Amino acid sequence: MDHQHRHSSSPRELQMARSMCWHCQSEVSGEYFCDRCVKVQPVSKELDYFTCMGFPRRLTIDPRQLESKFYELSRAFHPDFFQNKSAEEQTISLGNSAMLNTAYRTLRDPIQRAEYLLDLEAGAVKDIRTSPPADLFEEILELQDTLDEYRAADRASDTAATLCAKLQMERTTLERRQQDMENALQQLFTQWDILQDRGEATDQTRAERDRILKHMRDILSNRTYVKNIVNDLVATIS
Amino acid sequence: MAYSEKVVDHFNNPRNMGSFKKDEEGVGTGMVGAPECGDVMKLQIKVQNDTIVDAKFKTFGCGSAIASSSLATEWLKGKTIEEAQQIKNTDIVQELNLPPVKIHCSVLAEDAIKAALADYQKKADGALADAK
Repeated sequence: MDHQHRHSSSPRELQMARSMCWHCQSEVSGEYFCDRCVKVQPVSKELDYFTCMGFPRRLTIDPRQLESKFYELSRAFHPDFFQNKSAEEQTISLGNSAMLNTAYRTLRDPIQRAEYLLDLEAGAVKDIRTSPPADLFEEILELQDTLDEYRAADRASDTAATLCAKLQMERTTLERRQQDMENALQQLFTQWDILQDRGEATDQTRAERDRILKHMRDILSNRTYVKNIVNDLVATIS
Repeated sequence: MAYSEKVVDHFNNPRNMGSFKKDEEGVGTGMVGAPECGDVMKLQIKVQNDTIVDAKFKTFGCGSAIASSSLATEWLKGKTIEEAQQIKNTDIVQELNLPPVKIHCSVLAEDAIKAALADYQKKADGALADAK
């Protein structure tokens, strides 16, 4: 075989590798292996994780289905099975396995999955970073002051007891808010999936998609802010 | 990861921590957050005759975020509006020796300065329009 292929790593050639076998140059119709020479094919780095795992860009994914797909592809790509193969095949199996692991880890977690989808779709949503939630920030900073007061207070004092009761109440409120955000996210996920399944490309669906993505971005950000302060709160009063 | 001495110093003895009343005359408030890490920063300036006479901050976040905003308030005091606009996050990175993973804290501080200046400007323009 010629040596040129050892150095083929330019984007163009990588893309070609998806349709043409790097080894026998015949057209590849199978997903990951050449039909003719049965050589493993590199998964393009430009492929998004959804496509890589063979899932549509939906936000509700059956974890068992995802897992079984992961195992199936792991078995196909695992470097252990390529130990006796050529250097090229070993490199491809290593690259594919690495990509597969990252893809699985990202898609497995609903929040990471949504964050990833937002990154993918960010181009479609102009100005996806909306104005910061000033009210929430004020609340967080105020709560932070109360926490400092509590930390400085003598634990046996009445002041500490009053502050602790106040913080407990805040905690309940914030945790309820967290639950509300989770529910709202879940609804948005469902709305997004319905739109995806319909697959229309009208102006109206586009506007609706943008609205969902933007709303999702907001909640995901607020969720992080609230999570941090709750962690701090719980660590301080328990 | 170890924090630089300067970060530790600002963290242990934060300068200008606190806040002004938002609607006080000449006060500009910048409220920014980093959704990636959940840090929240509030930075306020008090302006008289185009000069920042006082600055305060409150930050909920890591040591570098606190140090960045603390340093920012120190730098802002005595500067004119125009000079304040020149403060760059890279200056903060250099002064505090921030490692690459903490650069976003300095970006947050720069954003907070910009937001405070913009808020002051907006209020000043509004007052001017009211006077007319």
